[in-house]
Amino acid sequence: MTAEDTVAGVTARAVDGDGRISITLQVNGREQRIQVRPHHTLLEVLRNELGLTGPREGCGVGMCGACTVLVDGRPVSGCLLPAALAEGHELTTIEGLEGPNGELHPIQQAFVDHTGFQCSYCTPGFILTSKALLAEQPDASRDEARAYLAGNLCRCGSYVKILDSVMDAKERLKG
Amino acid sequence: MDSHPSFAPSGTQMQVPGMLDANLRVRGRVEYAMDAKLPGMIHAKLLRSPHAHARLVSIDASRARALPGVIAVITGPDLANRDDIYPYYGPIFRDQSVLVMDKARFVGDPVAAVAAIDLDTAQAALDLIDVEWEELEPVLSLDDALAAGSIVHDEPPRLGQTFADIIVRTEANSNICNHFKLRKGNIEDGFAQADHVFEDVFTSPPVQHVPMETHNCVAWWENGVLRLISATQMPFSVRAQLAEIFKVPQTRVRITVPTLGGGYGAKTYAKVEPVTAVLAQVTGRPVRLHLTREEEFVTITKHGMQIRMKTGVTRDGKIVARHSTCYFNTGAYADIGPRLIKNGGFGTGGPHKIDNVWVDSYAVYTNLAPAGAFRGYGVSQAAWAYESQMDMIADRLGWDPYEFRMKNLLNEGEPVMTGEPMYDAHFKDLLATAAERIGWDANVKAVRHGNKVRGKGLSVIIKASVTPSTSSASVKLNEDGSLQILSSAVEMGQGAETTLSVLGGEVLDLRLDQVSITHPDTDFTPYDQGTSSSRNTYSMGTAVKMAVEDIKQQLFRLASDDLEVAIGDLEVFRGRVQVKGVPERSVGYGDLVRKARAGNLLATAVYASNGGLDPETGQGIGSVHWHQAAGAAEVEVDLDTGRIEVLKYHAGVYAGRIANPAQAELQTEGNIAFGLGQALYEEMIYDGGQLQNGNLADYMIVSIEDMPRQISLDVLERHESHDIHGIGETSLPPCMPAVGNAVFRATGVRILDLPITPEKVLRGLRANARPQAHVQEIDA
Ligand code: FES
Ligand code: FES
Repeated sequence: MTAEDTVAGVTARAVDGDGRISITLQVNGREQRIQVRPHHTLLEVLRNELGLTGPREGCGVGMCGACTVLVDGRPVSGCLLPAALAEGHELTTIEGLEGPNGELHPIQQAFVDHTGFQCSYCTPGFILTSKALLAEQPDASRDEARAYLAGNLCRCGSYVKILDSVMDAKERLKG
Repeated sequence: MDSHPSFAPSGTQMQVPGMLDANLRVRGRVEYAMDAKLPGMIHAKLLRSPHAHARLVSIDASRARALPGVIAVITGPDLANRDDIYPYYGPIFRDQSVLVMDKARFVGDPVAAVAAIDLDTAQAALDLIDVEWEELEPVLSLDDALAAGSIVHDEPPRLGQTFADIIVRTEANSNICNHFKLRKGNIEDGFAQADHVFEDVFTSPPVQHVPMETHNCVAWWENGVLRLISATQMPFSVRAQLAEIFKVPQTRVRITVPTLGGGYGAKTYAKVEPVTAVLAQVTGRPVRLHLTREEEFVTITKHGMQIRMKTGVTRDGKIVARHSTCYFNTGAYADIGPRLIKNGGFGTGGPHKIDNVWVDSYAVYTNLAPAGAFRGYGVSQAAWAYESQMDMIADRLGWDPYEFRMKNLLNEGEPVMTGEPMYDAHFKDLLATAAERIGWDANVKAVRHGNKVRGKGLSVIIKASVTPSTSSASVKLNEDGSLQILSSAVEMGQGAETTLSVLGGEVLDLRLDQVSITHPDTDFTPYDQGTSSSRNTYSMGTAVKMAVEDIKQQLFRLASDDLEVAIGDLEVFRGRVQVKGVPERSVGYGDLVRKARAGNLLATAVYASNGGLDPETGQGIGSVHWHQAAGAAEVEVDLDTGRIEVLKYHAGVYAGRIANPAQAELQTEGNIAFGLGQALYEEMIYDGGQLQNGNLADYMIVSIEDMPRQISLDVLERHESHDIHGIGETSLPPCMPAVGNAVFRATGVRILDLPITPEKVLRGLRANARPQAHVQEIDA
């Protein structure tokens, strides 16, 4: 998925002496004003400027999904999206899924109960993509989940238990 | 061989979760090395050689040093001029320099390192370093290497402190880096007994581990002590190497290791640490080096390999002789290649009883990225050869590949290829279950639906665990009765910390929340050889259990005084010592610790396994115990496109005692994903020494959609077994031959060179006007 539709929204703006521009991002329900270089990706900015370490780089080229961020609810590779283009959108990282006291989202709980991970480097990406899947297709079948999650790679090969987690999460979300 | 230390009986109240810190992990809050932030931290980038083989004529970094924001630039020649540094490293041969000093030996060999205030600046500085190279004839293939027209390492190897089991045999003026020999029985007599002799050549390409977290570390110097937070599987090996480089005692190097984002062998031995530590020393600041995915691809790989395998069988189906010549392409630097060729070499003996075996296994230098430890450790390459050849022999002689295997698999007490008797043999059980689960039918080779044809394949393998090896652990029992385990086992997704907590806690019948375990910290956690070779659960698990057992005996002595009963009449139950069967006469652990005024009870244990092979014959003790696995695949091949889909996969592995059921399944499923990738897609493609597909857009790894829809597991447990078999790798090597054999039964196309691509299958289909007699037609 790309954010091409947002490109038109960007207008020229002042660059400071360090080559940075000022942008405002809506991250996990909070407004954040930061200075970034125009080529910095959303992933770099989330990690380096905002200290959110849930999004991670795995490939840097949009192939692995470890850097997944929900942009207005849809999964986007944070490594491909210039941070400036994320302005004006609702951004959700894994840190935004839990409750105020760290209560787990039902999808997170399902991943715990099925141990849907080994090293868990890929886990935030899988959980966020699963969230988008279950929002779009609340009755997703196992096969539909396989197709939707195909852009997230797990080198530990925890796939069977990831699918078990997602199918269980589907039931939990239906309550 | 040592007798196996026995484990305490399972506790009654231990609940075993998949992972202790699962909650943090699903919240994205578990910390990897790359998440560490230190005040004043700066960032490093490496300038790498664009040539496969080139002499460094000159290097000038002055323009880079002048760039605002650059803190330091170091080059290979800078290091060569420093006598306070020994600029070489490598686990066996010190053949890799921290930066290229004389010549570059692969495309990607680092020649200079920049530290700057941010990555943008470091990156920009790389373009300002002027390097002049004189290109040399590159050694790009096995043939180039053996022809020895050009030599990758002109000087004899610098040997350093290394492992007890290493046999070093190098040749002057050649690209042979090491040679392992195995001589069992009498090979001439063996072939003389044979009625049929088959000789085939198999190859496996180099592939990369692709841990989702690439290599990274942060290094800084604090009061003369080198500190590192590193994503390494081997903190003690890295510590020793850094102490050697900086010529300081090991106590002046301190390494801590948080959880890893995957390792699979890639993160064994020093990799990014030496250069980062030098930058930290030169700049006086914390320096982070974090490789890009493209750099990761050329940091360490699985050995590409060629095996010529000659096997003799009698007309009644007994294998009587096997002669293997193995060439492992170890790339530009030896890394652990000189040892891996041993495991890969004797591994070609396979899980069969063969009285006469002759193996020559070579590690060969080339001008490609270095190869080292990779999940499977040489056995994947060996098994690809012998398990493919088993089916080829059966096919040529009209035998059922299942029966042919059954006739030759090792039984209890029969000698394995290194001569020691096999004990706890389960090959036949594993294979029988695999055949049953896949629905093996000797009479149906292939089933055709229109332009698609299905077939099934089997395989069985044997694998060693590194022997001899050493692990140690310390434990503390606190005055509230809680248990602390100090261990240097690295958590890399395999659940090591969870499993060790369970193994330790159950000795004292504690709940898991009463047990804690530390991450490795070389200042505090005791020595461990490394988290690799599927050795952790067994070797470190044994050390932890021995230490906690010691605590238990201390508690019994204290309780014996307190309760005034003989030690033999005591037992532990839910955190208390009690008179056997009399819960009313008991005392809590904490009370005992307090009454003894000990502060805490302490114990340390060392578990060291014994073994080793004769350097001339390769006979002796090859493994403290032998890992065993079987695989079965059903594939569907599209005859128009050659596309292969794995419909079903069954993995069987012998676990002895299972310490953590969820993790045992996860690791086995992970092996299937790893193995199917290597069977079908994975290959590092070089052109003139330049890697063509070193990124995840061009290099395919298995995604969720590539997984077979039907997977079955047989993690075989023997409840009375005291022996825990690590299973982190064992079920991987069967995947590739099981798929290859299934493709052959489906199509009649035998692929000898991994991976099994649609192109190769189509080419084979065209070349074969294959008799279709055995194919069962099903209406499409
Ligand atoms: S890091 Fe963004 S998709 Fe891989
Ligand atoms: S759990 Fe390790 S990459 Fe997915």
